Amino acid sequence: MNVSIKDSFKKDAIYSVVSWIALLSLYFIFNDHGIQDIITKVAILGLFAMSLNILIGYLGLIAFGHATFFAAGAYTLGLFLQSDFIIEYNIGSWSIPIALSLSVLLPGILATIVGVICIRLREIYFSFLTLAFQMIFYSLILALVGITGGDQGLMGGFPKPPFLGIDLGIHFHFYAFTTFIVILAVFLMRQIIESPFGYGLRMIRDNHERPAALGFNIRSHQLLAFIIAGSLAGLAGSLQALLDVGAYPEWAFWSKSAEPLFMILLGGMQTFLGPLLGALIFELLNDFVSANTRYYGLILGLVILIFVLGFKKGLLDWIVIRGRKN
Amino acid sequence: MKNKKSYRTLRRKLMKYGFAGTAYASIGFPTLLKAESNIKIGIPTLLSGRVAQLGISATNGIKLIIDKFNEAGGFNGRKIELIIRDSRAKPDEAARMTRNLINSNKVDIILNCEASSASFAVQEVIRESGTLCLHCISETSSLTADPSIRTWNAFRFARQGIHDAVGSASYAANLVKEKGLKKWMSIGPDYAYGRDSTATFFEILKKFSPNIEIVGQGWPKLFQPDYTEVITQIVRQKPDAIYSCLWGGDLVSFIDQAALYGTFKNSELFAINLADYTTMSAIKNLPEGLHSATRYIAAYPDRQENRDFDSAYTSRFGDHPTNWSWETAVATDFLISAIQETKSLNPKNISESLKGKSRQSFIGVGEGNTVTMRSKDQTLVNYAIGWGSTLPKEPYMKDIKAADWESIQELEKEWLTSKGWI
Repeated sequence: MNVSIKDSFKKDAIYSVVSWIALLSLYFIFNDHGIQDIITKVAILGLFAMSLNILIGYLGLIAFGHATFFAAGAYTLGLFLQSDFIIEYNIGSWSIPIALSLSVLLPGILATIVGVICIRLREIYFSFLTLAFQMIFYSLILALVGITGGDQGLMGGFPKPPFLGIDLGIHFHFYAFTTFIVILAVFLMRQIIESPFGYGLRMIRDNHERPAALGFNIRSHQLLAFIIAGSLAGLAGSLQALLDVGAYPEWAFWSKSAEPLFMILLGGMQTFLGPLLGALIFELLNDFVSANTRYYGLILGLVILIFVLGFKKGLLDWIVIRGRKN
Repeated sequence: MKNKKSYRTLRRKLMKYGFAGTAYASIGFPTLLKAESNIKIGIPTLLSGRVAQLGISATNGIKLIIDKFNEAGGFNGRKIELIIRDSRAKPDEAARMTRNLINSNKVDIILNCEASSASFAVQEVIRESGTLCLHCISETSSLTADPSIRTWNAFRFARQGIHDAVGSASYAANLVKEKGLKKWMSIGPDYAYGRDSTATFFEILKKFSPNIEIVGQGWPKLFQPDYTEVITQIVRQKPDAIYSCLWGGDLVSFIDQAALYGTFKNSELFAINLADYTTMSAIKNLPEGLHSATRYIAAYPDRQENRDFDSAYTSRFGDHPTNWSWETAVATDFLISAIQETKSLNPKNISESLKGKSRQSFIGVGEGNTVTMRSKDQTLVNYAIGWGSTLPKEPYMKDIKAADWESIQELEKEWLTSKGWI
């Protein structure tokens, strides 16, 4: 078993490095800021959707309020970078790494508080309680105008001092850094999913009572998964804030939580990279549809209908199942 | 033999033309393409939902000016191409679309036709990209007044909250004295512009009339369909006057619903955004005697150029222009003038040219009927601000009194000092 885990770790590490090199090559192959931006956005949204899929795909808990942590990550990063704390304590070049760390930590703490309460409930009650917390968080952002900028979001831009030779103001540096962070997070997520803990989550998903009968602490597994998912969503939010140079209350609105759900539906929830493929489809669709028609919602709804009624599963799930059958 | 020779000659010719063609394609053709390529202007705006009129009339204002420019041959043969995107009034979507317009569509300039919240999102994107941006719609003062938000490559061609607040307050102060309007209420949309506009209006009004009293404030959500809650509050408080900065369909719904309760028989309404054709014509029975700033009407400024703008727009689009139309038309006119003057699309050159620039305009009330892009905060001044009361039919407004730009700028300076922005 140990040998197998070690081999899997090595294999995943190699895949991760190769993927990063491939993404860096794409930067030079498509020497176009527009395409490079799409890749960056897909990476960020993919991380957001994959973090939610820990709960949906591996634990069987449908969370409707996942954008809470995405927005918490974005606002944490923005508020920290705009704070006087950086000048007072002369943090300077370390402000970005610290901000990113805080954007994982604080949404993680928030996820602990929300998770402790939500995991006591199941199914639709769990889903709606996460949504209720999200709406509280959204209202707080709107109400705390002096801190969050209210409905205008965080304004005035973020200083991005270079660190370790990385200057996020340079387009290539930003692209390479964002894709590296996302791949690192996905790699870590993979190790968690393939660990005994990850298999414990699948057991809970498949039969809630059996693991309990075996002496499994279901609540602690659920809570830990909720915290990991929240922290990773926070990281995705902070990268999005860096990309858009702002943070907006709409990121904490319920419709933002629907986005990763759509991505999971489009890409698939049974395969590890399904949500990432879903993010790619979602982003391309978003770009294409909004550039060519005003009926964005209608087209998106039709595409999801085709996937749900036609494939009856996400695209990657469908491909993998077809491949196995053949 | 002859065949072989002619074949060789043909092959050499082909090779020669081939090489020449390749060389031309690699050096000359792209240059030629570039020389003939269009000037691309990206327009993030809102074209769907209850205030789609904003995006439609704003882009119409741009088209009116651009079409003339293109018909006249463009700039050295280069025509202006508009790339319009609907952000659905979402700030994050506006940021995404602006990035796309810059990076994917390779636009040279952004003409931002977003409402306030989304305009702040656009501002952050262009601050980082260094793309020239002309804000045409947002009236929230802080966008250009607050030095921490201002950026060298953004210019506001929209009217500004503080200018309107001064104009409104001095008009209202006269009526306070004349009619003894002591008890005031406000109703404004619950977002940045609504709160900013209401706070500034009362701040300035209290300078003129320190004895007024605010007895209640209503903050309905943007695009809220039902105003019963606020109207009930008005009925209960019985204010002498109501200040409102609701706009578009929201203002129409409020007036229609409040009129049913006879609200305007007992309270004077000061609706800063009422006097726009599309708003006034949408109200079922526009009551006479409501007070409003002149957003856009052909009757003010009472000049032929203004009436010409109205008729040119109306004959082209089958509807009257709005406040947003004049703002975008003026922005586009300034932009074209700056491009022609600098013979460049470089944001720095155009920015330098725009700063302090004055242009004669149908909406101008500066010297020689000009409007000016004020250099220090890159915002438009000397546009027509008038206040009057409504008539139920064309010309919709009577007794229009012009706001005095000298006192506007004086009080604006005081206000900026109080905010710590100068």
